[in-house]
Amino acid sequence: MRGAPAVSAYLPILVLGLVSFGFAVFSVVAGALTGPKRYNRARLAAYECGIEPTPQPAGGGRFPVKYYLTAMLFIVFDIEIVFLYPWAVTFDRLALFGLIEMVLFIATVLVAYAYVWRRGGLEWDN
Amino acid sequence: MTFNDPFGIIVVKVLGIFVLLVLMTLFTIWAERRVVSRMQHRIGPNRTGPQGLLQSLMDGIKLALKEDITPTGAHKAVFLLAPIISTGPAFLAFAVIPFGPEVSMFGHTTPLQLTDFPVSVLYVLAVASVGIYGIVLAGWSSNSTYSLLGGLRSSAQMISYEIAMGLSFVAVFLYSGSMSTSQIIEKQTSVWFILLLLPSFAIYAISMVGETNRAPFDLPEAEGELVGGFHTEYSSLKFALFFLAEYVNMVTVSAMATTLFLGGWRAPWPLSTWAGANTGWVPFVWWLCKVFAFLFVFIWLRGTLPRMRYDQFMRFGWKVLIPSSICWLLIVATARALRNNSTMDTRGLLVTAAVILLVVVGISAVVERQRIAATERDEAERGEREARSRRLFPTPHAPAAASAAALEPGEAHDA
Amino acid sequence: MIAVFWVCAVLSVAGGFGMVFSRKAVHSALWLALTMINLAVLYVSQQAEFLGIVQVVVYTGAVMMLFLFVLMIVGVDSSDSLVETIRGHRLASVAAVLALLVLVLTMINQATQSLALNIVPTGLEGANADEGGNVQGIAKLLFGRYVFAFEVTSALLITAALGAMVLAHRDRLTRVPGQEELSRERLADPATAAGLPAPGVYARHNAVDTPALLPDGSIAENSLPGALVLRGTTHDVREEVAVTRAAELASDPKQAQEEQS
Repeated sequence: MRGAPAVSAYLPILVLGLVSFGFAVFSVVAGALTGPKRYNRARLAAYECGIEPTPQPAGGGRFPVKYYLTAMLFIVFDIEIVFLYPWAVTFDRLALFGLIEMVLFIATVLVAYAYVWRRGGLEWDN
Repeated sequence: MTFNDPFGIIVVKVLGIFVLLVLMTLFTIWAERRVVSRMQHRIGPNRTGPQGLLQSLMDGIKLALKEDITPTGAHKAVFLLAPIISTGPAFLAFAVIPFGPEVSMFGHTTPLQLTDFPVSVLYVLAVASVGIYGIVLAGWSSNSTYSLLGGLRSSAQMISYEIAMGLSFVAVFLYSGSMSTSQIIEKQTSVWFILLLLPSFAIYAISMVGETNRAPFDLPEAEGELVGGFHTEYSSLKFALFFLAEYVNMVTVSAMATTLFLGGWRAPWPLSTWAGANTGWVPFVWWLCKVFAFLFVFIWLRGTLPRMRYDQFMRFGWKVLIPSSICWLLIVATARALRNNSTMDTRGLLVTAAVILLVVVGISAVVERQRIAATERDEAERGEREARSRRLFPTPHAPAAASAAALEPGEAHDA
Repeated sequence: MIAVFWVCAVLSVAGGFGMVFSRKAVHSALWLALTMINLAVLYVSQQAEFLGIVQVVVYTGAVMMLFLFVLMIVGVDSSDSLVETIRGHRLASVAAVLALLVLVLTMINQATQSLALNIVPTGLEGANADEGGNVQGIAKLLFGRYVFAFEVTSALLITAALGAMVLAHRDRLTRVPGQEELSRERLADPATAAGLPAPGVYARHNAVDTPALLPDGSIAENSLPGALVLRGTTHDVREEVAVTRAAELASDPKQAQEEQS
């Protein structure tokens, strides 16, 4: 199994995917068919505490730019983690050299982390 | 272990997993309602079936008979697609979870696990990240402000805690030398990783609650702020699918915690001395017990802890969980390197380091709390002094002012 | 194997076309996600398991999520604007396409020449077997031969974080009052100590855009959410209240007397 895994190891995932996605599609279709259909304008309006729904800004409105920063930092750390995994798996074989190079790598990424922290990029309410 | 099952066995296993997950969802919803009721001195659902066990099934049927609403202005195709994208991956993650050792099934000897490959833990992460799409798209396509904000919030929360979760895996991989779930369980034959890598387990346990949007981290569904969050506009079976996905995800993260830290299907210590405890179908019982223990903790948390504020939650994830998991990771790696390069027994060292790390985190939490309490006391004293000097007390409407206003209603109209 | 290739290749190319021809940005993002997932399946079918899964984790999970975050705020109804904003955009596109074409043709040429020389491609199977697994093989290359490139990647990550900070972060000039401060402030003023009146209380509608009526019948303007006031979508109830008030006073002479005195 460790040498060259057969593609057959992935066949069960395909079958499970067919079952689960099939079930989901079936539910969505069935839900549309089984329920009553007595629509009116107010019922179809988006929910908003009894007032006329706020129109969505066409062509892009204001957006809490904080989310952009979060997603960007997520990418940075995600890539770090992706490098950490093969390193961890082969740690015993890489010996001390492996430890040193990863410490260097983490230290460099932590520079970015420390900078963002200092500038207040991790404060949500700022 | 090999995974070269004939197609018939694969189908049986797939259906088994599917039914197991649906049953566990139905059971967990019921258990949650009953346990939380108990904690709040209520009774909870006890009418449908024995002890109300059929309640969640009936609720599901009721949802199917409800009106299926697609709000005006919603983006139809994406609106329909979102619950499907949310549910499918939730089930898919279970493909690599080991339920037990090799068993005999219709005359075939096969592991009690659908499949496994060298990167199966990573596969769970990948599938989970596809599942987040369902939430983002549901929020976007509903064309409602609450849904949009709820979707953004949930996904930002999930990706923030995914980092801590991913980092907590690294220590496990260091010790198991593999990313395949069955190998990781094999490496826990003598000692479970929770004992060796307690901080990793703690970090994983916290981030798994954040990852599944459960209390006290259930901010996307903060009713007072966002109504229902990303699924505000969903009704009927489409809503049921989101609900199902949430509970299946709970079961998945619990099963991952069991696999990575609690020895998977392996029997706990006093029982493991019995020779039959780790063979055949019996280990499935241990697996179920461990997963239900986690699910109970989920319910317990919900019954006990108040919801966190969003900025506190994000600060905790980015400023506490991530740095402490990187710290712990470096400690583990150093200990491992020491063990490899000398004859030192690093297990004791590792446990000591874990205890020290936990104590440091604990002490800093206490110190921080005392600092906050001290400033609060100072401010309160100052506030009281100020109030005394201004002869002001924190009281509701002064009766004199109110009655004066009542005499002149016209004035307020013009204001 | 061949079946996997044909299904995934067709789907990923279809995703690429869908991404280019979609009028809505979110549709494009979804098509791109489809392409990426199919590429991942292709990698896995070529025994590059680690690469395949990482493709999903990093590209579908992280990079596309960043795109979606930005696109989400673009409303459901809006479509792409077709105005070019970058100068020389077309020229650069044509150049990039030509470069890619040259690259692909070279690759095809290489492959056919090798086949003509009877060199059979072995795929990753051999390499994986040598190292005891795909992950182990990647680790050996990454932390051995390419260790310098690996370390330089961390500098790239710093740049990314810096760029994000420069683009998306602004320092606050004033401090934001916290929950505790706000609550102290509220309690210090007797008029607000019990909280502001909630909209819709004692009012004719219970909607959030209808101001509350205080027990004495006056309108509490401060019960309305500030955002709705700024947008000008609140309910004007002055007239209705005045009419009701007059009717009440007409039906209850005792109260009218009190009011006049």
